[in-house]
Amino acid sequence: MRSYFPVARATYMIGLVYRFGFLFGIVGNLVYLGVAYYLWKSIYRYSDVIRGLTFNETFIYVALGSAIFILLKTYADWIIHYEIREGAIAMYLTKPIDYQIYALFANFGALLMNLSAITVPTALVMLFVFKVNFVFGPGLFLFPISLLLAFLISFSIDYFVGLIGFYSESVWGLSITKEIIVTVFSGALIPLQFFPDGIQRVLYWLPFQAIYHTPLMMLTRPNQGLDVFLAMILVQLLWAGLLFWLARLFYNQAIKVLRIAGG
Amino acid sequence: MQSLADYIRLYFIIEAQYIKARMQYRADFIISSIGMFFSSLATLGVFWVILESVPDLAGWSLMEMIFIYAFYMIAISPMQILFDHAWNIRFHVREGTFLKYYFRPLNMMFYYMSEMFDLKGLTQLLVGIALLVYASNQLNIDWTFLRLALLLITLFSAALVQISIIVAASCAAFWVIDSYPVLGLAWKLREFSPYPMSIFDGAFRFAFTYLIPIGFVAFYPSQLFLRPEEVSPLIYFSPIVGIGLFTITYWIWTKGVNSYTGTGS
Repeated sequence: MRSYFPVARATYMIGLVYRFGFLFGIVGNLVYLGVAYYLWKSIYRYSDVIRGLTFNETFIYVALGSAIFILLKTYADWIIHYEIREGAIAMYLTKPIDYQIYALFANFGALLMNLSAITVPTALVMLFVFKVNFVFGPGLFLFPISLLLAFLISFSIDYFVGLIGFYSESVWGLSITKEIIVTVFSGALIPLQFFPDGIQRVLYWLPFQAIYHTPLMMLTRPNQGLDVFLAMILVQLLWAGLLFWLARLFYNQAIKVLRIAGG
Repeated sequence: MQSLADYIRLYFIIEAQYIKARMQYRADFIISSIGMFFSSLATLGVFWVILESVPDLAGWSLMEMIFIYAFYMIAISPMQILFDHAWNIRFHVREGTFLKYYFRPLNMMFYYMSEMFDLKGLTQLLVGIALLVYASNQLNIDWTFLRLALLLITLFSAALVQISIIVAASCAAFWVIDSYPVLGLAWKLREFSPYPMSIFDGAFRFAFTYLIPIGFVAFYPSQLFLRPEEVSPLIYFSPIVGIGLFTITYWIWTKGVNSYTGTGS
């Protein structure tokens, strides 16, 4: 395990090279924050509580959702597909490393970079510019654990889609479809509470809600009972284990069809 | 190779070859079209979910939002279909392959952009047209000759605004090589253009109307057809906004192309 930490460190350093890019990332997120603020302000002009959420709670959910979205979006599908297509994956096969763990740590480095460059500044802006009140409670302390598990789930899904590159020429369509399904059904754009009841019930049974909805609920409603949160984390743990394992199985199958043109 | 007719003829020849080449990857085309279908409807899905809980969005009903959204989908299609190569400038600039575009007796922007014709963007265009027909039926919009002419003019202007924003952002590659962050920001702004501009005030409204006029991509022109009685006089400037913005973008492109010296790789 220890030999993988330098991988995470390396991707973090690569991120530092592109500091200029993060400036635009932060600006983009701030604009989104403003747009979301006005949008939800106009939605909440009829009543103070909609679907059990106050404006403050919804805004924390949506605004931090965008900041966490940047954190958990791994691009693993694009990178893996590129490495398969260009044959670079052969380099990993000749080394005594586990490709899945390697990719996981590479993405973890990017996560740390985005955390320091975009998520933390966004949270600070929310605190000092929009003057959002964060409530204290056990949820806040469990949030980091929940976020890590969410990262594991998000990575496993992306990694799985990337592996389809062993079979297909281009992964654009699949990646985009996956991205839309994940962003809409996970609550990254609108709190799941807003969905019609029937759809909501289905969404709670899918793994996507464990990526954004679970950690975001810990921030918007941190003062619920500990048992509520532990149940949520257990669900995340199950999804993370299951998806990580499924992706592993798929890799072991897919690697057999790999053919790389010389040159 | 100077007249407009020549260019149009040439464009069809180039794209016919391009489409033949792409058709080798039929599965990819189908999957990409499905992906495009879902991704282009995502924001509309958000509006739909929101309007399940509240009666209207800043005074706009779901059907009116569908109309605005359909207008938006059609207006951004020319950018998606004809100017998709803008996303690759950064690769060409980095790898040095951009040099080849200097060596043809053709307009460089034309030559560069003609190298790609985004087939999956057609899905977005078709869904947009279908939604526009559906919404204007439901809203009982009477399509007189004058209204149809207005629709074409406003769509043309809106498309130019959208093309200009994306192409100008992609030109950042000539100076900073990796233009992805700038393009990402422009792309994100694009998603806000079907929002009712009336929800914004202060700096945001000013910016979306005058600085990066995404309001002209869908919301302001749609008002002409939805609520002609409360339309702002701004909308009559939309052709000027579109053509003006494209002129500025073309100037940036020319500057960029002339200042590009390669990365030495």
